[in-house]
Amino acid sequence: MLTINLFNGLVYGSLLIVMSSGLALIYGLRRVVNFAHGALYMLGAYIGYSVALHSNFWVALVAAPAVMAVVGVLLDRYGFRLLQDREPLNVMLVTFGLLLILEDVVVFIWGKANYSLFTPELLNFQVNLLGNEVPAYRMGVIAVGATVAVGLTLWLRLSRMGLFVRAASTDPITTSMQGVNTDLISASVVGLGSALAGLAGVVAAPFLSLSPHMSSDVLIDSFVVVVIGGLGSLAGAFVAALLLGMMQSIGAVYMPEVSVLLPFVFMIAILIWKPSGLAGSRT
Amino acid sequence: MSFTRIAMLSLAAIALGLGIAQFTPSSNVLGVLTQAVIYAIFASGVGVLLRQNGLVSFGHALYFGAAGYGMGVVLALDWMPAELAIPVVLLAIGLFAFIIGLVIVRVPGIAFGMLTLAIGQMIYLLASRARGLTGGADGMGINWPSTLFGYSQAALLKPATLFLIAWILMVVVTLALQCILRTRFGTMTEAIRDNEERARFIGITTTLPRAAVYALSAMVTGTAGMLSSLNTGFVSPENLHWSVSGITLVMVVVGGIKRSIGPIVGAMVYILLKDLLGDYATYSMAILGTALIAVIVFSPEGIVGAVERLRIRLRYGPNGPNVHRNSV
Repeated sequence: MLTINLFNGLVYGSLLIVMSSGLALIYGLRRVVNFAHGALYMLGAYIGYSVALHSNFWVALVAAPAVMAVVGVLLDRYGFRLLQDREPLNVMLVTFGLLLILEDVVVFIWGKANYSLFTPELLNFQVNLLGNEVPAYRMGVIAVGATVAVGLTLWLRLSRMGLFVRAASTDPITTSMQGVNTDLISASVVGLGSALAGLAGVVAAPFLSLSPHMSSDVLIDSFVVVVIGGLGSLAGAFVAALLLGMMQSIGAVYMPEVSVLLPFVFMIAILIWKPSGLAGSRT
Repeated sequence: MSFTRIAMLSLAAIALGLGIAQFTPSSNVLGVLTQAVIYAIFASGVGVLLRQNGLVSFGHALYFGAAGYGMGVVLALDWMPAELAIPVVLLAIGLFAFIIGLVIVRVPGIAFGMLTLAIGQMIYLLASRARGLTGGADGMGINWPSTLFGYSQAALLKPATLFLIAWILMVVVTLALQCILRTRFGTMTEAIRDNEERARFIGITTTLPRAAVYALSAMVTGTAGMLSSLNTGFVSPENLHWSVSGITLVMVVVGGIKRSIGPIVGAMVYILLKDLLGDYATYSMAILGTALIAVIVFSPEGIVGAVERLRIRLRYGPNGPNVHRNSV
């Protein structure tokens, strides 16, 4: 029983890793709290759904993040870059406006009905995990989360571009004075973050249902993750995402009445203890 | 603005309200106007927090709904007469917000917004899952007594009367906020907003005043919730949902945050526009989102700011007055 709960917690935690690493990256570089991230996640899921209906899940798994990457680059070029000298609050509200628009776009194209995506054939079987039968697809979700976490960490720590991203996150002006094209870095990072939101959407589609309201739950959970982890900190977000996933699935069994409150109580407790989050020194 | 000018403006506003109540024949239109005024008060609460503390709340729906739930519970359990319950519930909201505020105003900037979002959403989930008295996701009816302050319910709920009550409350709330914020307390919170560290250096305690502003803004929003619960006789978790907070924040920013009239203008424009759009209401959110982005991009000071700029331009020509205009 406990194993299966821990497992499900890990599954949701992995999804949150994919979502919140995008949020954290964008915040780190652009200092923007991106409300539209939830809408990008939702768009990713719907696009994935449509693509999967016409071809198969694996094409969707590539196509949806690719489309979202383009959307992200455009968002940075014609949104965040033009607004970079504005108050953070104003930019945040622009992304909130974008969220409202994109939610209606989804209703306009796909309607208000709920959909769910079939589990891909290849992963449509059960795996025995310490005496429990678990769907292989969910193992796949954990693998995606782990890949994203490890991949991003390696990219940021070891690659030249990762170095630029870290530099630009710390001090964009000095970084650009050293000859780094920070606009290009920003566009890439926002594109990557948006692609991750799209990826999360496709990955979630077979086990969470698709509806025009699907964005807000995951968005708020990801906000909680990013704030607990420390705004802009990737490692903090990974830890917080796993903690949150575990907390929700274990709470759902042992304290069903209050399980939905746990993430918020946890967040409030962390912020009282450390106002800048687990790993954060920046605000 | 001098006190005489404020007093005259308030009287003019009340006269305007009387006029609208008197000469609007359709009760449907009055209903929409009442709705607009209720949201104007709600938005004033969010606006005062933003203007005075520089803090964005994504969770003020909490206080809007709390007023309804508070009245609903007190009246259902018959703890006290409704006339007493109204101030008691409002004070309770203020006290609750003050205690919450003491903790959360210390969290800087954007994290504050997310924290209010989290607290608001927590209460929303709690209310939608609670069984029993508050009716969970179905909401609860509010058992208003047949007479309130000596007036029969039927008389109070006449569209024109209700509109007038809401309108006068709006004027009174705005006036009260003006008076409170013109004192030393107001100046102090502005100093803290602009530079907390320096304010601390010159010997101002910074947490208490900010928590007080937060409580004040919660009580203003609670007043709107109170009116709404009188208007509809009903409260549900929908009132607490974070999208309500978000939309109200949009009204505040679209109206303009520099002046206390901004949120009121924003709320009126939003509600009336939404009513006019009618048939397109399915996509009203997209329209609202577009308007929000347009205002932020082209006129960051909102409608009121744009009107003011226009007025200055008309008076002094395109180059503006040659004086330092910082009299906000």
